[in-house]
Amino acid sequence: MQNPFARERSLGVSRTRRRYDLPLNKAGGTGFLTLLIGLMTFLALLALSASFVLSAMTDRWSSGLENRVTIEIPAENEAGKILSSEETKKTGLKIESLLTSHPAVLRTHIMTDEEIRELVKPWLGENLMLGKIPLPGLISAELQEMTPETIQILEKKIKAIHKTARIDTHEEWLGDLLRFTGALQFAAFILALVIGLATITAVAGAVRSHMAVYHAEVELLHLMGAHDSYISRQFQRHSLSLAFQGGLCGVAIGGLCLLIIGWISGEMGVSLLPDFRMGYLQLGVLATLPVFMALISALAARQTVLKVLRKMP
Amino acid sequence: MIRFEHVGLRYGIGPEVLSDISFALEPGSFHFLTGSSGAGKTSLLTLIYLGRRPTRGLITMFGQNINGLSRAELAPIRQRIGVVFQDFRLLNHMSAFDNVALPLRIQGKAESEIRNNVQELLEWVGLGDHMHVLPNTMSGGQQQRVAIARAVITRPRLLLADEPTGNLDSEIGFRLMNLFEQLNRMGTTILIATHDQTMIERFEHNKLVLDHGGLRVEEPKHWLSKKIDGVF
Repeated sequence: MQNPFARERSLGVSRTRRRYDLPLNKAGGTGFLTLLIGLMTFLALLALSASFVLSAMTDRWSSGLENRVTIEIPAENEAGKILSSEETKKTGLKIESLLTSHPAVLRTHIMTDEEIRELVKPWLGENLMLGKIPLPGLISAELQEMTPETIQILEKKIKAIHKTARIDTHEEWLGDLLRFTGALQFAAFILALVIGLATITAVAGAVRSHMAVYHAEVELLHLMGAHDSYISRQFQRHSLSLAFQGGLCGVAIGGLCLLIIGWISGEMGVSLLPDFRMGYLQLGVLATLPVFMALISALAARQTVLKVLRKMP
Repeated sequence: MIRFEHVGLRYGIGPEVLSDISFALEPGSFHFLTGSSGAGKTSLLTLIYLGRRPTRGLITMFGQNINGLSRAELAPIRQRIGVVFQDFRLLNHMSAFDNVALPLRIQGKAESEIRNNVQELLEWVGLGDHMHVLPNTMSGGQQQRVAIARAVITRPRLLLADEPTGNLDSEIGFRLMNLFEQLNRMGTTILIATHDQTMIERFEHNKLVLDHGGLRVEEPKHWLSKKIDGVF
């Protein structure tokens, strides 16, 4: 039996539905739009990654220091005399004993010299002769609830043992740090917003330009009775496809950049730099960026086409 | 089917190119639209295929007042109208097959139906071996046949043609006029704008004559002579 499509195939007639009624694939500027969306996606990826890292840092700092105080016993007394390591330790034990007997304190921990050295290592370096520098005594205490009254009572009792000892609630520096990271997060959010708006503007501009170039073709579809949605779908699909391709390139390059930054910070061994590792959820959000870019591009294309078509009778 | 009542059209702030046009096309009628160059034939066709809204007057199409319809409501009405444009307006990036298939795709027809109908019609207009050819590589006559096939593929209720046989030799022109008559017998209302007096005389149908922005209806000459002879 003869294949009913044989003749058609020999004539080169497409048996599948055409992708576009308008020659959008052949339109100029499609490469530029893909590149532009690729760049936007790259920037959005960096902005979002920064936001995620800052958010993780804020959470870590906030949760790690919740209801925790540090009692600092300076290495010198009120007369300015440098205390020996033994004296500092003795004072530390007295204060710890006081703290453990107080009902508001859950647990305490006197920090060893090793732990103190580890804390100051990022600032003073590893090879410094720490043994020759008088170190303060540090006691970490976890409270049931950190209220100003409790802190006041504890501070009064501690000062009775050692006048220059003080309680650090971390509020001062943590508050500044949280405000700073909050500002950075806000900046990252604004940047992501600007990137989104720039993408929408670029797509809308490209669609308007294509509609002007193919005005006669668009008008013909309109006169044949094509609904606005039929015409807009052509532009939507085209924008979706271009934006997705650009988005994939942007995410690939951005991901590579993040890996390099993470590797460099690891190689440098600078522990002050934030940890660049992200959770699966955050990685998932970054991976969906091309889809998001494609969707906002398609939506921008649709709205632009519908707006232009409204001028037709 | 189509009713124009005191319709006027002007472009921008220019003078009226059509003024106080009133006529009616009954369902299943066949009319020629004629008039000197610049008389407004294309403008009148543009109003009928809803390419423009009139600046004044009332247009009723398929029982609906066009002035009161939204843009979305006009689309189904346009789908009932087939148009053969004077400059063909074929899409040059598409094959002849896809050009003719376009109105069916816009109407959401199944691809199997489209394939059979388009193939059959292109063969009928003598372009069976040119289905895959792009319009800009075709002759003027071939392009015109593609344009005509595209206009009739949906079996429209109203067919408008602007100089449809202008680029065709007399034999093909005659065949296409027969196609229009065949469609007319099947119930399609036909309006053909033409300068071709030979064709107007050969196919005896009513004439809409545009003159100085106005319009009058003329019956075929032999009918008039028959009327005078007392046949009617």
